[in-house]
Amino acid sequence: MSSARRYAPVLLLGLPMAFFTAFFLAPLCVVALASVMARDGGGFTLANYTGILFDGYHWDVIATTFRIGLGTTLVCILLGYPLAWYLVRIVRWHAWRRACVIILVVPLFTSNIVRSFGWMVMLGRNGLVNDTLQGLGLLDRPMRFLGTELGILIGMVYVLLPFVVLAVGNTLARVDPALEQASSDLGAAPWQTFLHVTLPLTLPGVISGAIMVLTLAVSAYVTPALLSGGRVTVLAVLIFQQYASVFDQYHGGALSIVLLVLTLILVAAANRLGQAGGRTA
Amino acid sequence: MIARLLVRLVAWIALVYLALPLVVILGASVTTTSFLAFPPQGWTLDWYRKFLADPSYVSAFLTSAALAGVATLAAVLLSVPAALALTRNRFPGRDAISALLLSPLVLPYIVLGAALLQFGGLFGLTRSFLSLAIGHTVIVAPFVLRSVLAMMTPEQRALEEASSDLGAGPWQTFFLVVLPQIRPGLVTGAILAYITSFINVELSIFNTTADLNTIPVKLFNYVQYTIDPTIAAVSGATIIAAVLIIVILDLTVGLDMLSEKR
Repeated sequence: MSSARRYAPVLLLGLPMAFFTAFFLAPLCVVALASVMARDGGGFTLANYTGILFDGYHWDVIATTFRIGLGTTLVCILLGYPLAWYLVRIVRWHAWRRACVIILVVPLFTSNIVRSFGWMVMLGRNGLVNDTLQGLGLLDRPMRFLGTELGILIGMVYVLLPFVVLAVGNTLARVDPALEQASSDLGAAPWQTFLHVTLPLTLPGVISGAIMVLTLAVSAYVTPALLSGGRVTVLAVLIFQQYASVFDQYHGGALSIVLLVLTLILVAAANRLGQAGGRTA
Repeated sequence: MIARLLVRLVAWIALVYLALPLVVILGASVTTTSFLAFPPQGWTLDWYRKFLADPSYVSAFLTSAALAGVATLAAVLLSVPAALALTRNRFPGRDAISALLLSPLVLPYIVLGAALLQFGGLFGLTRSFLSLAIGHTVIVAPFVLRSVLAMMTPEQRALEEASSDLGAGPWQTFFLVVLPQIRPGLVTGAILAYITSFINVELSIFNTTADLNTIPVKLFNYVQYTIDPTIAAVSGATIIAAVLIIVILDLTVGLDMLSEKR
């Protein structure tokens, strides 16, 4: 190998690495550093973290964030798996599948605000949802959705559902039908084939979709900000307030690091779960 | 049989759930009332005319389009060489570098936005087009890198080596052999990058001013205080644009991603 070959990675990676070090690593380090600095500039302290960890309000916010995040992930899988199944296995008419895929992808191409805005209109006191539920006789008087965790959950599932459908759909489309055929030839009932053959084979898609939804849900800002009406606070909203209106970079830094660490722990846990599931299959 | 019906039922509910908000916005944008009404009362395009006549919307729209263009171009120029380096040779720290370059995909944007604001503040690099472009480049580069990396197969490497064995220079090899092979991934990644930048609120919100505003941030600030059919018209316009882009993509690149590959 010539020396040019050997130095190629250095030349090719030089600029991207410099850019990411300057505008990604360094800013994150500044945040991490601010999170362990005393407010009055007098050296290092853990006060910013203890202020979060020994405070009931912050635990409430963290719990709300992860309750909404996990709930969103669960509902996305329960709705997304059947939809992926329907699109890949049941729909035979190409034009209809195309239309369905377009319905699925359009939300991904429009901003969170537009998508959340649609739900702000529909979930209002006199919105479509309340009108329909009352018309069907399921409700006597309008139910409050905006400003509740349920309202945020409805908006979040809407925003994130396509990710699960695409992830599951792509693995489902690659499942070798011969394996399922073999299972049923050997006398397995359809539900047994699903549980022991198809589900384990599509588990990687479920896990990767779930990780994507979970990380996006716990760090979401726009949807909770618009659908909470200021009544429900999640971590991302709290972090934004620290930087944009309270101007407390020390507290904000500590909150940011807490969100980062909790997100990474969840991603690692989901990965572990996927590997364990893959092994037993 | 019952299971099949149940799957259909859930799938239809999910489809209605996905389509409904967009239909409601489009419907509410043509109402003749001065408040949002769905089903719309009457039919008018006045709300669309109103926002198109407002220069602040048009300039925010142009800022977003230019910003997404600059960020996507920068992301391509950074990510393609990085992808080549990461797949060529094994070298110490390769996995760590790859993880670093991809990590903005899983980091909360709001944290990144706050970090860039605080960091930029140290150098007076805030609330400018440049600071917006830098932040957007960081978050969209991983999309390009990921989809280009997916194109770097052993076959691709073999052709690349054949090209250089036959005497082609590095640039010739890149433009004549590598680029045509990674083009599908590059196009997908660039489209994702452009859209991600174009619809971003979390990062931009720290760096916009009254004069320098992106369309999502302008909408976000507006929606929090006022809700009227103008905002439905602006939203409606973005939905129509999205549908057009997707139909064009479907006809050219092909979006039949969920058909069984048998």
